[in-house]
Parts: sequence; structure tokens; C-alpha cells
Amino acid sequence: MKRDPVVIIVVAMVVALMLVFGFKLARRSKQEAAIGNIQMKSGVAPDFALQSLDGKTVRLSDFRGKPVVLNFWATWCGPCKIEMPWFVDLQKQYGPAGLQFIGVAMDDAGTKDIAEFAQSMNVNYPILIGKDSVGDAYGGVQFLPETFYIDREGKVVDKAFGLKGRDEIEDAIKKILGSGAVAQTQK
Amino acid sequence: MAQDDLGRKAPSVTLSAPPVTTAIRGKANDVELRFQIGSGFHINSNTPAAEYLIPTTLKLDVPTDIVVGKITYPEGEQMSFAFAPDEKISVYSGEFNLTVQVRPLSSMLPGKYEIRGRLRYQACDKAACFPPKQLPVAFQVKVIKAPLPPKPNPAQSPHAHN
Repeated sequence: MKRDPVVIIVVAMVVALMLVFGFKLARRSKQEAAIGNIQMKSGVAPDFALQSLDGKTVRLSDFRGKPVVLNFWATWCGPCKIEMPWFVDLQKQYGPAGLQFIGVAMDDAGTKDIAEFAQSMNVNYPILIGKDSVGDAYGGVQFLPETFYIDREGKVVDKAFGLKGRDEIEDAIKKILGSGAVAQTQK
Repeated sequence: MAQDDLGRKAPSVTLSAPPVTTAIRGKANDVELRFQIGSGFHINSNTPAAEYLIPTTLKLDVPTDIVVGKITYPEGEQMSFAFAPDEKISVYSGEFNLTVQVRPLSSMLPGKYEIRGRLRYQACDKAACFPPKQLPVAFQVKVIKAPLPPKPNPAQSPHAHN
């Protein structure tokens, strides 16, 4: 059987392009994680760009100047579900002082399921669809929940691995808000 | 806050080497599989009370001549995480057994057959949860012919004549 040389060349080019593209993507992901790890070691919260539930691209750097509570969670994580109502309350309480919660769903569930779950929990802060490269940049995120407390300068001031009590969470929030901002929120 | 938690160990679920189960052709036979969960961890039961939790499930790829029937999961024990004592979840911890019903077809050649599959589970400790995992599972069944029915004793036959 005779093969058309044009077809062979086209197929070879497509395969080559796919290989180059795949290799570049894998390398970029590794580079992002490596940069993230370097930033984490120096205390800087690694920046990222993730999709929100409504399809917008959200960067951590969009919130620079605000204290941020960055929470990695998943729909299948029981302890994450316990924390969420506290986060909703604390967002209400400290939001006027500039605090911003961000949830990153490290989930295999689809966006629709994550959105439904967040809605059922009355979540009042942005939920982003997580990626392994972002988890890697934050030290791997081997288990959930993991929460990073980031100050107005973008530095990680505190971290919480696993479920913590509401009081501990609130104490960490006060650290990133600074005493002046806390005074404004206290009634 | 919690720097010390970085040393948290990963959960483990293992299958004890199951003995070869003898299975009679054309009949339902039970195979018991015993699993161990690492100390300090639990996994959701097969019926974990909340829709968002991932149930423990066993999926098997069986040889074409063996029919897998019901897989019986044990009932879970009730537990709750810290700060939410009223929210009970159904879990397995320590050891748990699954029973798999297998029925080799009557036409199957006698011999040893391996059945492979995967146990999907999602583990947590008291304060954190780990991503769902799949444990490869394999066990053997020895398929034998059904024993022949006892032959009538000619000496007892009312039609026997000397």
C-alpha cells in the first residue's frame, strides 16, 4: 500500500507540535512550582492565576494591599466543611476592614458541583478552581484543609494545616489585619 | 499557628493476603477480603451519610466466565470531627472485611483464576483529609466441578433381584 508523503509529513508535524507543546506545558508547570517554592521560602505568597466559578481569571496579586486568608479545600473534605461557615462569618465581620478570604477547591469534582456545594454553604468569598501546580507552589497541599494567612504586603504570616478552632483562625486574622484594622471591626 | 502539623503522616490502607477461595462451578461462593487502615486514620464507609463524602467502593475486573454478585460492605462506625460533635459520619477504622460473591459459570474449566480490582477510598485523620486513592486488589479463586450426586446403592434397590 502506497502512503501519501504529504499526509505523512502533516501527521509528523502534528505529532511534533503536540510533543513540543506538552513538553513546554510540563516544564512551565514545574517552573511555576519551583518559583512558588522559592517565594514560599522567602515568606512571599506565590502568585497564581486560577479560574473562578464564573469563569474569570483571578490572580492572588489582584488582592495585593489586602490581607488575604487563602484556604485550600475540597468538597469531599469533612473538616473543610466545618470551617466554611466560620469563614463566611469572619468575611462578614472583617471584610469591612479589608480582609479577603479566597477558597481554592483542590477537587476532582466539576465546576458545577463545586459551585453547588459553595452555594449550599452560603459562601460569600471567591472560590477558585485549584491546580496541582498552585498546590505545589504552596508546599504540596498533601491534605486538606490548608490555610495561609497573607498580610497586605503579600507575605505569609501564618499557616494552618488541618482543622483549627474558630478562635485560632480569628487570632491569625488579627495578625494579618494589624491592630488598627482590628479595632475598627470590634463593636 | 500549626507548623508542627507539617509532619503529618500519610494514610495507608492495605489488603491482607487473601487465601485462595475454592469456588464450585455454577454456584455462588463467598470470598472474604480483609483490609487494614493505618492507625489514627479512618475512611468513609460505603454509606457515608452525606452526599459530598466519597464512599468506599470495590470495583472488580472479572474473567468473563465468573459472575461477581453482591459485594457486602460492613456497617460503618459513627464518629465526628472536632468542633462538630453533632455531625456524625459513618466510617471504617482499624480492620474491616468485604464479602464478594462469585459464581463461576458451569461451563468454566476447573483451575485457579485471578480476580483483580481497585478499592477506592478517601481517608482522614481527626483534623484533615487526604485526596481519594485507589488500592489495587487481587485475589485467587480455585474453580472446581460440583461434586457428583451420590449414586443409588443397587443393593438397596427394591427392583434388585438375585
